[in-house]
Amino acid sequence: MMGATTPGGFLLVLAILLPVGGVLLSFVLGGRFAERVALAVTPLGLALALAIAAGVAHSGQPLVYAVGGHPPPLGIALRADGISAVMLVAAALIFAASGFYARAKFSTPPGVAESRAPLTFWIMLQAIWAALTIVFVSGDLFNLYVALELLTFAAVPLVCIDGRPETLAAALRYLLFALFGSICYLLGAALFFGAYGTLDIALLAQRVHPLPAVWAAAALMTAGLLAKTALFPLHLWLPPAHANAPAAASAVLSGLVVKGSFFLLLRLWFYVLPGLPAPAVGAVLGTLGSAAILFGSVLALRQARLKLLIAYSTIAQIGYLFLIFPLASGAHSWSADGWSGGVMQILAHAFAKAAMFLAAGLLAESLGHDQIAKLTGAARKMPLTFLTLGLGGLSLMGLPPSGGFAAKWLMLRASVASGQWLWALVILAGGLLAAGYVYRILAPALGDGAVALKAPPQRGREAVALSLALVAVALGFAPNSFFDFIEIGRPIVMGTP
Amino acid sequence: MIEVLVDWLLVASIFAPLALLDQCFSKSLRPQALALQWLAPAPALAAGLLGLGAGPVNLDFPALRLSLRLDQPGALLLTVAALLWMVVGAGVFRSEQPSSRVGVAWLLTMIGSLGVFVAADLISFYLVYALVSIPAYGLIAWEGLPNSKRAAGVYMAFAIAGEALLLLAFALLAAGEPQGSLRIVDVMAALPASPWRDLALALLIAGFGMKMGLAPLNGWMPLTYRAAPIPAAAVLSGAGVKAGVIGLIRFLPLGAALENWGLALAAIGFFSAFYGVAIGLTQKNPKTVLAYSSISQMGVIAAALGMALMAGDSGASSSVAFYAANHMLVKAALFLTIGAFAANRAAPLWRLPLAGALALSLAGLPFSGGALAKLASKTQFASGWAAALASASSVATALLMLHFLSRLRRATARAENATPAGLVRVWPALAVGALVIPWALYPAVGDLSDAFGLAKLWDGVWPLLIAAALAYVLYDLQDRLPRIHEGDSVVAYEKAFDKSLALGGAFEGIDARLRQWPAAGLSLVLIALVLAAATALGR
Amino acid sequence: MTPAVLAGLVGAAVVGLGLYGLIVDPQPLRKLLAFNLIGSGVFLVFGIVARRGAAAGFEFDPVPQAMVITGIVVAFAASALAVALILRLSETSGGVSLDPAVWTKPDDKGEKGDGQ
Repeated sequence: MMGATTPGGFLLVLAILLPVGGVLLSFVLGGRFAERVALAVTPLGLALALAIAAGVAHSGQPLVYAVGGHPPPLGIALRADGISAVMLVAAALIFAASGFYARAKFSTPPGVAESRAPLTFWIMLQAIWAALTIVFVSGDLFNLYVALELLTFAAVPLVCIDGRPETLAAALRYLLFALFGSICYLLGAALFFGAYGTLDIALLAQRVHPLPAVWAAAALMTAGLLAKTALFPLHLWLPPAHANAPAAASAVLSGLVVKGSFFLLLRLWFYVLPGLPAPAVGAVLGTLGSAAILFGSVLALRQARLKLLIAYSTIAQIGYLFLIFPLASGAHSWSADGWSGGVMQILAHAFAKAAMFLAAGLLAESLGHDQIAKLTGAARKMPLTFLTLGLGGLSLMGLPPSGGFAAKWLMLRASVASGQWLWALVILAGGLLAAGYVYRILAPALGDGAVALKAPPQRGREAVALSLALVAVALGFAPNSFFDFIEIGRPIVMGTP
Repeated sequence: MIEVLVDWLLVASIFAPLALLDQCFSKSLRPQALALQWLAPAPALAAGLLGLGAGPVNLDFPALRLSLRLDQPGALLLTVAALLWMVVGAGVFRSEQPSSRVGVAWLLTMIGSLGVFVAADLISFYLVYALVSIPAYGLIAWEGLPNSKRAAGVYMAFAIAGEALLLLAFALLAAGEPQGSLRIVDVMAALPASPWRDLALALLIAGFGMKMGLAPLNGWMPLTYRAAPIPAAAVLSGAGVKAGVIGLIRFLPLGAALENWGLALAAIGFFSAFYGVAIGLTQKNPKTVLAYSSISQMGVIAAALGMALMAGDSGASSSVAFYAANHMLVKAALFLTIGAFAANRAAPLWRLPLAGALALSLAGLPFSGGALAKLASKTQFASGWAAALASASSVATALLMLHFLSRLRRATARAENATPAGLVRVWPALAVGALVIPWALYPAVGDLSDAFGLAKLWDGVWPLLIAAALAYVLYDLQDRLPRIHEGDSVVAYEKAFDKSLALGGAFEGIDARLRQWPAAGLSLVLIALVLAAATALGR
Repeated sequence: MTPAVLAGLVGAAVVGLGLYGLIVDPQPLRKLLAFNLIGSGVFLVFGIVARRGAAAGFEFDPVPQAMVITGIVVAFAASALAVALILRLSETSGGVSLDPAVWTKPDDKGEKGDGQ
């Protein structure tokens, strides 16, 4: 039966309960213990994510767990398939890196029992992790709504954690626009429920027909999720929020939080609605994605601050993600390439962007500013930091060997094979523009010049940022079995109804 | 037995420098690794020499999705490139210790340069091609001279643009291969029948042409060679540019007789050949003159490949590779000549004649390696108009080289001509080597006895006589030649680039408006409506 | 016009009014109220939907009721967070505006961004 619990399904519950338990424990114990609990949760979370991935790989089927023993349509099913597993592992790694990176900045000061910013940071970090875990494994659209809201509520305080007015305004803008998006999502979910009486993803996929209610629901949910993913032209909240947040928070926000709502879009269009052929939707989303790539990259070229440049680069790279819709829908010979390319882009961008934000944070702390114009000669004083920026930039540009190149290559093959030339040109143009803004950061830094360091960056934190960048590069060597793994659980459409 | 040895050497030729690169990550091991890197091309040299005699060697590593192949053109170029890297590298890293920035850039470029001749599948070729193009930035910006920033920027722009064109071309090649194999031989076998053949060929010629400096995509070369220090210019003009040559050799379907494409490529090639000489004659700096000579010689190579493509002659790849190998040796030696002349003013009497012989070997001076190169390309330029153009280009090259010699005497000891002392000392040996080594390599492509004979001798001499006469005339007209900025077409590109920057302001204005809340909110509602319509239409 | 249809139309109208306020009104507090208005409209729609449940044969489907309750709690939490942010913003800077131009420095210098 569809929603029956499979062996190993309890791992999914554990994966959710772990960070939730961490949040509660941190809140109750408070003070320094919050940091210790968060750092203790990190390796356990990674172990659980790897166990789930092993379970999915071993059985070749998604892991399922019916909460409370009630299968859908009455209960909620948790379902972990190929892409859930890789996203869980990626999230665990990035959270680990951000956690260890942030210890220097968000430790409770000595002599004080409890301090506002550190306590908030560690609690919110675990809350984001919990929310993302639910997003990746839940199989019910309303459950996903709650997870999405939790994600937003946990991310907003991280944006304004230092209390400056501009960060408060950015956080408020983020919150209100995200709420706008999620209420649209909820209305769409209501329409789905009205039409079919269930919100379980697998059941809906079986029952979906082309009805006006379904069209409206799909459109509303998609538009709401686009607002939360900051796809152009709905990107108004992202640059100030990500650029003014602390570096560890920006890494998680850019690397994972925006991917959470994008993951829901994949669930909606590839798991709930694959039986509803809609090539025009692929064209619309692809066009918006292309506009995001071009606008984001051009605007990144014109930024004066490094963190704003990286934030606009996020807007551009999110555009690449939306090319998955025209390239991977249907059961064509190229769809597998499109899907693999899209998923690889999610992972490569997550690691590369997190690494770049962490490196930018180190730079800002050591130099006291993050003005690009004043970076001349900085690479000599901070070689590891700039190596991280360089490797992250390599992935963003899409040069081999890197995950970004693998993603671009697969998407190019898909667009050539399907005859959709526009996306091929956009992908290449995006690569050229990305090369432009990476060059803008690196060329002056590699040149001759002297910068005064306030304090040299700590080796441990540099190593953490560099390790994330190395993962982004290592993704370029992903074996074919990886691409088979992420196909596990994806419904393949057998022709059009 | 030999095959096993070649296999191991082939693998070692990539992994030896990679092992050194690994050591660079540790701060304590780095200086030692960088100092030793001049030895790293030794396995590649051995592999190339052994591979010359043996048939094509194929190595596949399915687990790594990597293929290596050593065929005759690749072996020729690999041998000479490895020799070049070793000699110049020894000169640089034994006598002085450049900064580790430059050392790492040198090592990365070397890996790319050697790898490009042996990579046999699309992805690894793209990877090593990127390695030979992009880290060279560190070599160009080495000295931090004022014009090096602009040169390096222009170089990077062309390199990245070339990479983008090649990426699309490779995607087209991969799409045309029905079995999904990414090996170059499989992909090229499928190319003539592929529906994307024409687009792929256009992109390949454009992309590799950018690297080779075919007009009108040649503007970066003079700027780069002028700004880079002598050793860097020697290896970049020698081994770096030949990545484009091996690209064309590998990725042109020479066996298929494609008349139109062959004609087009030959036309571009001959145009570059004469364009390079024409602009080069107006230049004063000897390094810039050599750059334009490279442009011209790459044009000849492209023309040879174009003629081969027209005729469907797949054996041309070896002769073209020999021509390119000879050019590698001579051009690098010529750059070192500039350094030698600039370094000491007091010169032995035989210095200028030796430099002259070296320079004129490019034009086919009898008994030099260049004469053999000309001989090797005879089959491509057999027909009427092609033979005439080829002879004319010999004259033109000779003229340009005489102009170079006249500028050489005025080379001063500026920073841009700084050469490691070791290389200056052994320069005579290097020059003689550049003249003689091709003789050792020629048996791989043809019969040495063909090179002798009065007819051949006259073939080599009469272009030089005409050129000498023209040079005499030109010398008088020195001051009335137009002043063309080095980098010619680059100035136009830079102007266009500056204009496009104004577009960025427009984008910023649009972004400012879209980031106002009402605009964004309205966009959300509109997107929802459009998506609803799109889903409804999906029926 | 059955009560269901009437309620549905009212729900749609409430959502529309809220949407207008959310998009057009520049004050964050008013945007928050508009958001709550939209929320009320959505819950009204959920209520209508409760009568059409194809679930386990109950006369009134309990699942939408659960969803509405959860939704109300989520909207409450959202409003609380937003109000806290608005209060704090007005305390620290006097004015509460979401216009990006207000919060951007001339060329967004990073002086206050140090130590980030």
